[in-house]
Amino acid sequence: MISRLSDRAPDRAAPIDPSPLLGEWLNYDVASRNISQLTLAQRGDDIALRITGVPDIDWGETIAYPFALTVDGGEAVAFKAAYDFGFVTIAVLAYLNKRLLVVDAYSTFNDDSGRSSYFARDHFYLR
Amino acid sequence: MRYVRAEDRPPNGDAPPGGHVDPSPMLGTWFATDKQSAGVVKLELAERDGAFVVRAFGAGTPEPVDWGEVPAVAYAKSVMSDEGMAVSASYDFGFLESLLAAYSKGGILVLDTFNTFKDGSGRSAYFSREFFHR
Repeated sequence: MISRLSDRAPDRAAPIDPSPLLGEWLNYDVASRNISQLTLAQRGDDIALRITGVPDIDWGETIAYPFALTVDGGEAVAFKAAYDFGFVTIAVLAYLNKRLLVVDAYSTFNDDSGRSSYFARDHFYLR
Repeated sequence: MRYVRAEDRPPNGDAPPGGHVDPSPMLGTWFATDKQSAGVVKLELAERDGAFVVRAFGAGTPEPVDWGEVPAVAYAKSVMSDEGMAVSASYDFGFLESLLAAYSKGGILVLDTFNTFKDGSGRSAYFSREFFHR
């Protein structure tokens, strides 16, 4: 089954290789008020994501799910992950662009603070 | 007020706008700039009985594949803004889950999709990035 032509099955799909994503990524923007750095590491079959929010707030580890560019698999070009802090849930969606990691955070507040759900983007380089 | 980064905090102790993000700047029908796209070819963003919804269409032959309408979440550019500039929505087709996340900038909507197959077909999870205009 397909939802669009790009879903069509390949002759043979390769496993996703997460290695292009792994490592410690630092924000180019030292004045960012969002994420200062993140680490992606292999943990058995999983990829663990750890984020540091500005200023120096450890978000802890969550699982990151890698994505290839096509159904053929191969090298990972993107990942998705989620954090649930109770008062806020954050979808972390990222992709690689010429060794630049573009990270989008989609945040939704679940408390009664009246804060708007918001989108934030930052760009990271591999240490 | 709890936070996990500085951006979560209203500046100067100002009162936040209330929590509702107005999706109206994004509403309308958006078409893929790539007419040969094998991915999503059209997006309809609408309000239905006060709810923000997305209807996506995938590339297909002879006609695009209508994915149907699903609830969407609107996002502003900060905790202090109520003007929608980004959207997310999820589709579960049974054999496939697709997370759609998009933001608008300068009259263009940039759509990322994160696609995970659940049918044992061996197809790899894949990412796409596509551009849309009204």
